[in-house]
Amino acid sequence: MSETAVLSIDRLNKHFGGIVAVKDLSFEVQAGEILGLMGPNGAGKTTLLNMIAGTYSPSSGRVNFCGRDITGLPAHRLCHLGIARTYQIPQPFTSLSARQNILVATKYAGKKAAGMEHDKIFDLVNLSEQKDMLARDLATVSLKRLELARALASNPTLLLLDEVAAGSTDAELPRILGIIEEIRKMGKTVVLVEHVMKVMVEAVDRIIVIDKGEKIAEGTPGEVMKDEKVIAAYFG
Amino acid sequence: MKIPRLTTLASLAVLVVLALFPVIGIPLSWLNYLFTFFICLALANMWNLLAGYTGLICLCPHAFVGLAGYTLAIGSWVGVPFQAGLIAGAAVAALFALLISFPVFRMRGIYFAIGTLILPEALKAWFNYWRPVGNVYQGMGAGYSVTGVEGVTLGDTFWLGLAIAAASIFLVHIILRARLGLGLTAIRDNENTAASAGVNVFRLKLYSFLIAAFIMGIAGAAYYIYSPRINPVGGFNISWLLLPLMATVIGGEGLEEGPIIGAAIVTFLRFLLADYGAWSLFIQGIILLVVVVVMPQGIAGLLRQVGAYRFPLRLFQAVEGRIHENVK
Repeated sequence: MSETAVLSIDRLNKHFGGIVAVKDLSFEVQAGEILGLMGPNGAGKTTLLNMIAGTYSPSSGRVNFCGRDITGLPAHRLCHLGIARTYQIPQPFTSLSARQNILVATKYAGKKAAGMEHDKIFDLVNLSEQKDMLARDLATVSLKRLELARALASNPTLLLLDEVAAGSTDAELPRILGIIEEIRKMGKTVVLVEHVMKVMVEAVDRIIVIDKGEKIAEGTPGEVMKDEKVIAAYFG
Repeated sequence: MKIPRLTTLASLAVLVVLALFPVIGIPLSWLNYLFTFFICLALANMWNLLAGYTGLICLCPHAFVGLAGYTLAIGSWVGVPFQAGLIAGAAVAALFALLISFPVFRMRGIYFAIGTLILPEALKAWFNYWRPVGNVYQGMGAGYSVTGVEGVTLGDTFWLGLAIAAASIFLVHIILRARLGLGLTAIRDNENTAASAGVNVFRLKLYSFLIAAFIMGIAGAAYYIYSPRINPVGGFNISWLLLPLMATVIGGEGLEEGPIIGAAIVTFLRFLLADYGAWSLFIQGIILLVVVVVMPQGIAGLLRQVGAYRFPLRLFQAVEGRIHENVK
């Protein structure tokens, strides 16, 4: 394990009964890097994020965060340590306003989140005009941004983004790419799960492709797109 | 000088007027009604804290009431004064909540509800056989009378009930405006997201569960000072659950004023329908059904929807403005 790795996954396995969702997966993410996770539906991407964020505990293997073994720690502890995540299907606090939604994160994520300025976060994700609306009244696109805002509000070191661009129109993509670029400038390390190829190609430094829970390719976006195994996994 | 918000003053005035009731010769039956209302209100407030704000459908208030009542009663037989018994009862209820929290919090939603529902039944059976002090009663454990409360007047219990009800309102008011309230609401809305946002879900649920058990316990013990006889069927009676549940749902779950409105209605119905026996439950059930269908947010929800609070609030603001001017 290299010294600058923010996240280091070592032979991680997860099975649900007889179904193997993640199999012997190992990789590292360096500080400040944006890593893309790709794979067909059901490849185990979200399961992997859930294990890093503490929603599931792995069946076996280790997860190291900033040189510390965090395997199996509960989600709120990982948030305090500096891991934040968004959900693929937005999971807001529906009865609270957008502002209160991110207030939960700043109030509960520990000291590092205390100085976070809500207005800046709302500006960044382009939600300023809707920040006093109840989450249940927000459209899906806004809820996706609220997911991002809440994750950023805890001022994390590592950000796990699960399909932030899914469901967006082509016209909205530059905006999302801009947000990811801003997050990079903040010096955050990002693991990005994404189906929208444009985002993958333009935003990430490195891509890992998984299929049926196993890593089948790794490299720069250009390399991965030409990989025969990747083409086979996607097109059969 | 800063003038206190008139709404606060108004509620304080109501509190003072209520506190004067026993000394200004109000009919005793009124004191009886109001005492029942206070107990129902304290229970409903706590049930609302759990179900309305934490998302815990807790179906075991009768466990807390029964345990607190039995602690008071048994304590009174070994020389514990009823004032200490009152606190001890609440503490035992909270301790019980602490013990059961580890298994029941592993369940969510409907499973949590069912898990809590069986506990009072188990306690009821236990207290049928268990009699730590005094002679065996009709071959088994069962009933106790509370001793040492002969000198307590109806006025005294009225004040006790009023204090508990007021404390329960104040407590919920404080919690909702504190960090704890935000965390509880987050848990109610989405447990997973709350955890990802750094909320220690188990600990916050436990806080809310312990507070509710303590206040429900003290309300139950106060009732057994007022009516100093307890047996397993009465102490662990499901009506201790139905009262706060109906009051909260009819009044408005997850709304601060809901249990107050609901408790008033439920208490009123209870006395109104007292002569009709089984029909009473039937009628209350119909009312509950109608409320749930016609106004899912309860009466308080409906009042908010039609803007019924706007006029009194504006009136207060206008009056407050006047006072400010005069002071200058």
